[in-house]
Amino acid sequence: MAMTITLNVWRQAGPSAPGRFESYTSDKVHPDMSFLEMLDVVNDDLIRAGKDPIAFDSDCREGICGSCGLVIDGIPHGPDPGATTCQVHMRRFRNGDTITIEPWRAKAFPVIKDLVVDRTAFDRIIAAGGYVSMNVGGAPDGNSVPVPKELADLAMDNAQCIGCGACVAACKNAAAHLFTSAKITHLGVLPQGEPERYRRAAAMVEQMDAEGFGSCSNEGECEAVCPKQISIASIARMNRDFMRAATSK
Amino acid sequence: MRLLQTFSTSIGTKILIAVTGLGLTVFLLTHLAGNLLFLAGPDAFNRYAHTLTSNPLIYVAEAGLLAVFFVHIAKTLSNYLANRAARPVAYTTHRWAKTKNPASRKSWASTTMVVTGSIMALFVVTHLQTFKFGPVYEGADGIRDLYRLQMEIFGQPAYVVFYLMAMALIFSHLWHGIVSATQSLGWYHPQWTPRVIVAGRVLTALIAGGFFMIPIYTFLLSRSAQ
Ligand code: HEM
Ligand code: FES
Repeated sequence: MAMTITLNVWRQAGPSAPGRFESYTSDKVHPDMSFLEMLDVVNDDLIRAGKDPIAFDSDCREGICGSCGLVIDGIPHGPDPGATTCQVHMRRFRNGDTITIEPWRAKAFPVIKDLVVDRTAFDRIIAAGGYVSMNVGGAPDGNSVPVPKELADLAMDNAQCIGCGACVAACKNAAAHLFTSAKITHLGVLPQGEPERYRRAAAMVEQMDAEGFGSCSNEGECEAVCPKQISIASIARMNRDFMRAATSK
Repeated sequence: MRLLQTFSTSIGTKILIAVTGLGLTVFLLTHLAGNLLFLAGPDAFNRYAHTLTSNPLIYVAEAGLLAVFFVHIAKTLSNYLANRAARPVAYTTHRWAKTKNPASRKSWASTTMVVTGSIMALFVVTHLQTFKFGPVYEGADGIRDLYRLQMEIFGQPAYVVFYLMAMALIFSHLWHGIVSATQSLGWYHPQWTPRVIVAGRVLTALIAGGFFMIPIYTFLLSRSAQ
């Protein structure tokens, strides 16, 4: 029960090369394939024909690493809620569909090749403060550091962020607020990270701005596309922590 | 200096926009309350306007309001340009992710903030020309007869339609703006935020509805007086 799918794919040879859309049709697509497997099949044919395969990022292919990420028909990670691109399956589409695939588009995420973008801006935001800098020793004995259930849940919800960048891709301002606030929240509400909470917020926000991301218009498109469904409540918390940092000392 | 730096960050900028936006919203509420005195007749309305403008403190209040306006506009425009710069290459296909679950708050109102805001700024200029700096009729006690001016202006259907269109812009701007400001200021609560969203929209409807009513009421009144 093979499907015929036409792809409209953004091809760009390098960071400063001009890009354009190219169209490929494959009749070897199966509904059980993941979106990335479908691209593998298309690439296979391209390679056999002696052409340059479509470059795209992937690693775990099970929604936990955050390296995959494509804008599929105008929506980062495609149509399914709470899913990464690698978790989208071709049964979501109909035989004969045309699918447009674009890379994340943001000044802070320059295209490396085709659909692969450079997301090291996120690494630099983490390096600016996304850590706990004092030595807290080995793993503590269970229950020796009491953490209220609500805070443990909040930290875990935010720690789910896989840094895929879909929040930036979906935002009309290419803002990195959801990513940055998830990291700030996940560290800031736990006892080990609490002492540096405000300093961390200030440093990470400063780096976020320096990378050229935009500001938050509170539309919540980021939350809607986030494969981990992280809430914009974290952005509100980041705003509070940032102002607290700016007004103290 | 430090404060200046803080308010030029992406978050500080949005906090200023939110504070000034809410300040302007409060102004709209007081403006509406004053305007509603029109319903109480020429005496009450003209006396109110006279009391307001003859108090020397009005210059301080006006300067403050102007400053709030200025900061709101300057910050929204610089914010808009910075946000545009953050995505130099636009998407070819872009769809709202609103269809996903949880749905986003994106709406036509949120998408057109800079458009509705900019037209509102132009509207404020013509509005001041029409009323504040418009013809001065002398009324009964030697005070300005703004009631008569308002009857004249809104006796003309073109003005009524123009004002209704302007009020529709305010409705749209505040539909997203009031709720957005609460989030910018860091107010989020899993139980309260859904209610704040409803409350913000009710407040928006009340403000816009009140301002909608005034030109219509005046128009009908001027027709029945003829
Ligand atoms: C009576 C007049 C006005 C009121 C009551 C008002 C109110 C507000 C409020 C409450 C917000 C939300 C702040 C936030 O998102 O945190 C806002 C945002 C905004 N306002 Fe206004 N505003 C007014 C006039 C203007 C004018 C004249 C402009 C002209 C440029 C403007 C442009 C904007 C823009 C672009 C935003 C969105 C910023 C963003 O989210 O990225 N507004 N306004
Ligand atoms: S490849 Fe790891 S999340 Fe998709």
